[in-house]
This record gives sequence, C-alpha cells and structure tokens, in this order.
Amino acid sequence: MIFITGPLLAGKQSYICAALGLSLDEFARRAVWDVQELAAKEPDLPALAEALAQREIVIATEVGGGVVPTDPEEREAREAAGRLSCLLAERADTVVRVYCGLPQVLKGQLPC
Amino acid sequence: MFTLVIGGAASGKSEYAESWVMRLPGRRIYLATMKPWDEECRARIARHRRLRQDKGFETVERYTNLSGLELPAGTNILLECMSNLTANELYDPEGGGKEAILLGIDALLGRGRHLTIVTNEVFSGGTAYGADTLRYLETLARVNRALASRADTVAEIVCGLPNFLKGGPQP
Repeated sequence: MIFITGPLLAGKQSYICAALGLSLDEFARRAVWDVQELAAKEPDLPALAEALAQREIVIATEVGGGVVPTDPEEREAREAAGRLSCLLAERADTVVRVYCGLPQVLKGQLPC
Repeated sequence: MFTLVIGGAASGKSEYAESWVMRLPGRRIYLATMKPWDEECRARIARHRRLRQDKGFETVERYTNLSGLELPAGTNILLECMSNLTANELYDPEGGGKEAILLGIDALLGRGRHLTIVTNEVFSGGTAYGADTLRYLETLARVNRALASRADTVAEIVCGLPNFLKGGPQP
C-alpha cells in the first residue's frame, strides 16, 4: 500500500496520478482518499487501518497542525485522524508526503 | 547533544522522541510539563504513561521554573512538551513569563546531558485568532525557533516518520 499524506490542497492526488500515470477513473478505482474523515467516528482505529491497508493507494490530509480546537469533538476528531495516519504509515510499503506539490519519501521508495 | 522533535496533534512525535532517547545509553528522565487541570489532561497523562511504561524512564513532573530544577549530570532528559511549559510560564500564577522558558532550557543543557524536547506544530491552521491566542503562538514560535537554532538535530514528525530539518538520524 502507498500512503500519501500532506496538507489540504497540497497536490496529493495530482502527484500520485502523475507518478503512476493514472487517469482520474483509474485513480477513483485504485485509491481511497480523505480517510482522515473516517477516523472521527471509528471506535477501532487499528481495524480501520488494517482494512484500508488492503487498498493500493490511501490518501489522508494532515489536519493536526493548527491551534488545538476548543471544541472537544473537533479535538478528538483531529487526534483520531493523526493516530489513523500513524497506523497507516506503519502498514504502508511506501509513505510519501506531498508539500506544495513536491513529494518527499518518508518510507520505502517512490513507485516510479 | 540537543534534539528537537516537532509535530502536529497525534503525529506520533512522543513515540518517536521516546524511541530516539531509548537508543542513547544511560539513565532516562522524562520531564513532564502538563499540569493535570481536568479529566482530559489526566486521561492524556495516563495514556502517555502507558505508552512509555517498560521504556525505563523515571518521571519528573515540573510545570514551571526549570532553572530551579536539580537533575543529575550525564543523564538523558526527554522534556514533553514545550507547548504546555509555555502555557504554564505565561498563564500559571507560578509562571515566570516567557523569559523563564529559555532560561530553563539553558539550565538543562550542559553537564554532559542529552536533552530531547518535544514541541508542537500549531501554526498551520490559519491566522484568525484572538489577541491572547496570538500572544501565546508568538511566544511558542519564538521558543521553537530559538530551540531549533541551538539544536544539533531537528526532526519534524509526519505520521510517525521523521523529516530531518537539521542533522540526521542517529548512527
């Protein structure tokens, strides 16, 4: 599994489409994205990570870099999203962080 | 040796910092700066205690005035975390203000110690904050920059993995 992370609108999808030569249709078939949104209501994050790890490409937006929210639910959702990303990175063969469109390999090797 | 570990919420920074310190020989002291204000803080502290149990850390709790803290020479100190210490020095009745933060760090450095500090990336969520929050952010940012400038190694943690901004992995 290739795990792609990075800030909002950093070019994560564009990067992986270009790197693997994917059309948008192929991308939609082979990837799952915005997985940070699945974390908030998930009581079993390791099970969710395990299920996602069966996919070829998993994309999560980094959401933990702002001021700690005053709302407890937002706070919890943000932490769950961060923990899910850590669990996905552990299970991934390759982890790429995309930052202003530029890829940085944090684990494994670029797929091409 | 001085190492700064920085990351966002639940980025895996604590676990990374612990594993970094565990690769160093010698006695390990965990300098905990979070004051147990409420149930959420207590739960957070308990979670961190669970994460580092069996890792051979002695826990020392200290919320303000690190320069008045006596710690043995030649030890590995893991300070967690700078965002709490900064809030304590600024807002706690016992706090010494922003000047106390770096004075405290100066006191920890030296005497053959390895110091590792965990701090928070809280600067990527926009700029629309009230004056009090901005004052806190400005203090923490200045502290982070001062620490990064002095550190031998600065690792930004992304989903548990290090992005070295200064220095590199341990040999």
